[in-house]
Formats: sequence, structure tokens, C-alpha cells
Amino acid sequence: MIAFDNYLQAFNETLYMTVVSTLFVGVFGLILGSLLFTTAQGGLKPNKTIYSTLSIITSIGRSIPFLILIVLLIPLTRIVVGSILGPSAAIPALVIGGTPFYARLVELALFEKGHDLKETSRAFGLNDFKIMIKVLIPESILALIRGLTVTAIALAGYTAIAGAIGAGGLGNLAYLYGYSRNRPLVTWIATVLIVFLILLIQLIGDLTVKKLKKT
Amino acid sequence: MIRFENVSKTFHEKNHKVHALKPTTFSVEKGSIHGIIGHSGAGKSTLIRLINQLEVHDNGTLEVLEYKDIRKLNKESMRMLRRKIGMIFQHFNLLENKTVLQNVLFPISAFNKPNKKDKQKALDLIKSVGLKGVEHTYPAKLSGGMKQRVGIARALINDPEILLCDEPTSALDVNTTQNILNIIKNIKESRDLTVVFVTHDMNVVKAVCDYVTVMDNGVIVEQGTLDNILFNAKHPITKSLTASIGFNIEAIASNYKESENLLLLRFKKHITHQEILSKIILTHNISINILFANITPSSEGVMLVSIESDDIHQTKKVLKEYGVEIVHDRF
Repeated sequence: MIAFDNYLQAFNETLYMTVVSTLFVGVFGLILGSLLFTTAQGGLKPNKTIYSTLSIITSIGRSIPFLILIVLLIPLTRIVVGSILGPSAAIPALVIGGTPFYARLVELALFEKGHDLKETSRAFGLNDFKIMIKVLIPESILALIRGLTVTAIALAGYTAIAGAIGAGGLGNLAYLYGYSRNRPLVTWIATVLIVFLILLIQLIGDLTVKKLKKT
Repeated sequence: MIRFENVSKTFHEKNHKVHALKPTTFSVEKGSIHGIIGHSGAGKSTLIRLINQLEVHDNGTLEVLEYKDIRKLNKESMRMLRRKIGMIFQHFNLLENKTVLQNVLFPISAFNKPNKKDKQKALDLIKSVGLKGVEHTYPAKLSGGMKQRVGIARALINDPEILLCDEPTSALDVNTTQNILNIIKNIKESRDLTVVFVTHDMNVVKAVCDYVTVMDNGVIVEQGTLDNILFNAKHPITKSLTASIGFNIEAIASNYKESENLLLLRFKKHITHQEILSKIILTHNISINILFANITPSSEGVMLVSIESDDIHQTKKVLKEYGVEIVHDRF
């Protein structure tokens, strides 16, 4: 019998993996996305070579199926985390899988108003770094948060895949205790819990956007 | 003030070069409103962007204010130069996450924390463009005309000597356009500004500009004072532009080929307020049919008339005595 505590623990593990990886992906994705925008044609400092390199790396990172990425990253995970089991072991793969995804959304968000704001800020004498920090990122904050919400939801989904091969959490519960032992109810409860988590993420994202919207 | 000497700019597109500005020499007088007009792709946007180096020219020297060759400026001097040049844009380009007051203060706050004096100055500017009461409103709540007024206040916060206007009324309706043009005219007078004004609308040029430069295909095809351009357009592009606001007299005259004694009269500004025609009609027993007339903002008038008279030579002599210039008497 699966006790309430087991569900709670699994939920907490999934929550932990999602929150921690979202934080890292938020930071790394913002940096990578800003670099993509900066070096892109029409960006602050267009540079074909750097842009193409970053762009290819980003595209490759996004196109590797997550399950394969985890396996590929086992040696790295062992060095960084010290173990390949448990929620923490899933973090490197989640961060590396999620960063290119969010970086593309950041690049798009910055492009939206990028050209006009770049020109205006330059006319006032701002340098490229100031334009990025003081103008482009603050002006794109809503799109950046919406993008991060989508990313967090994708990451919550990835945790389930990671869970199935040893990271714990709701994915682990649904697969190992529900499917493998033929107890559909466990799978259903795990599903309801993860849907609940995703709705919660969406709600937090929407409320933040609503609060920051300047009308 | 602003002097282009053989300045050129080429953009390198994927497979071909775009000569946005072919080697160009021209200058802008201090204290004037200098209109740059042309169809889209004529190079006027490139030209205005060179003045504050939003685009960097390939060749030639460009002198702005006390800087003899602005392409050679270091970063700090470029920042100083840009502080002396305000700019407003077609799409206003306000910061949506800042209030009106914060937007106006932005050219200062991007570098230093604004002090009390700066804030007072911003509030005064907001008041002077007629926006008192919306200081703490966000741009999303403002109309296009109001946004452009915020743009103007923001452009003036560093007390610039030059104001660059890049199609500032192209996204606005006719009434709002007039309103914005009046504000620009007033601030130019009260602050001794030099204004460079890019537009594709001849009505706008006629309403505010003292000097006009007409561009086509990266080349200046004609330039002169507003009156000169309105009355003596030579280049086909200029003619089509003046025709768009009813100033292409030749085109109008050609509609009246059948009329006899067709005269094109020009009234200098000191005589436009006199009752010359009625005096001539009453005292010389002639009848005049006015086919077309127009007047510039500086009160220079033109009139296309056909005259029925027993002695047309005598009539012409009388007109000349009153100071009326006969530009053409045959078409």
C-alpha cells in the first residue's frame, strides 16, 4: 500500500527538481539568450561567427531527446553531484536540457522591441551593456516571465522522465509503483498531482505578469 | 552647425550593396527647421541617423556642433555629443514599464540618480508640452499624440542644441499632427534649437520648415528655402511633392490651355494684404477670372488668372506697377 507520506514525498521531490532547475535555467537561459540577441543580425553587436556557434549549440541542445540527454550526462552528473540517483542527480540534465529552450524564448522576447529601443537608447548615449541591463531586459520582463513559466512547465514534465530512471518524484511513483506493479490508481494519483503542480506554476506565472503589467 | 562633406553610406545586404547615401555635401543652418523629404528608401532616414551616428558613414567628414569630424570621436566625446542632440521617433519608442515622468528623466537616470532639480525640470517640460496631470501614468494609457509629446519632453531633458525628428507625425492623425508641429515650432523658437525634420509629407514640410532638402535614391536632388521649393521646383520628384499640396502651378495651368491671356502672378509678402486686384478691376475696366491661388506660411502668394482686357499690355504694366510679378504669360 502506498501511504499518503509516499505521495507527499514524491510531490516534494518533483517540486524540488522543478524549482531548482527552473532557477538555474532562468539564469543561464537569460545569459545565453542575451548573447544570442546581442550577436544576432540587428542585435547590439552583430557577429556572425559567434551567433552561428551559439545558435548551433542551442539547437543541438534542444533537439536531443531528454531521456538520451540524461544517459549522455551520467559521467558529468557523477562528477558534479556525486551520485546518479535521487532528485539532485536529475538537476544537471534538467538544466542542460532546459537552458537552450529558455534561451530561444529570451532571444525572441528581446527581439520584440529590440530594434526601436536599441536605437532610442543609443541616441541618449547608452552603451550596449546599459542598453541590455537598463532597457531591454526591464522592457521585456513580461515576455521573459511568460517564457520562464512555459519553461518551468516543460521542466516539470522532464522531471517525470528523469523520475522513471531513478531520480525519484512523481514520475518514479507512477512508473515504478503504478505501472510496473500494475496499480493504475497510483499512476492516476501521481498524474493528478503533477497536473496540479503544472496548474500551480501557470497560476504563479500569470499572477506575476498581472502584477508587473504597467497599464 | 551641421555640415556634410562628401559623406556616403552603403549597406551590405546579402547579395548586393545598397547605396543609402551617395557622396553628399550639404549643411544645416543654426536656428532653422530643416526639412528632409523624399519617398521611402530615398536615404533621408540614413542621413538623419548619421547626425548622431546611429549609423556610421563610410566616407567623408561630418561636422556637428563643435566636433569637426564626428566619426573620429571616442566613446566619451560621442556621449557628450549625443547629449546635445535630442531625437524623436515615428513610433515614439517610450519605455512601457516607466511612468511619463520616469520616461522624461530616462536620459539622465540611465547614468545618474536624478536630483531634485532634474525632477523639477522634467515636471516643467511635461507641463510645457501640455501633459500636466499624467506625470505618473504609464505610456499604455496615453494616445499617440500624448506619447509623442512625452517623446518631445524626453528629447529636451538634456537641453540639446539640435533636435532630430524622424517622421514624428507619420503615425498620427491630421489634427494631432498639427498639434505636434505647433509644439515643435514653439520649442524651436523659445530654445533657439536647430531642428532636422525627416518626413514624406509635403504638408508637414510646408507647415514647419524654413529650408527643404529633397532626396531621391540616396542623392539630394534639390534644396532651398521653403518658398523657393514651393514656387521654383525643378526636379520631377520635387514637382510631384509640391503638386501633392497644390503648389505645382504648371500642372494646374495645363488644365486651362484654352483660356486666353493666362497669367501666373506672384505676390511678394509685403503686397499680399493689399486689395490690388479689385483696384485694377475697378479703375481699368477689365475682368479677371481667378483659376487658382495659394499662399505659403510666409505669405508669399501665387495666382493663376485669365484676363479679359482690351489692352493686355497695359494691364500687365499696371500689375507690375502694383508690385505684382508676372512669372509666366504663356503656357
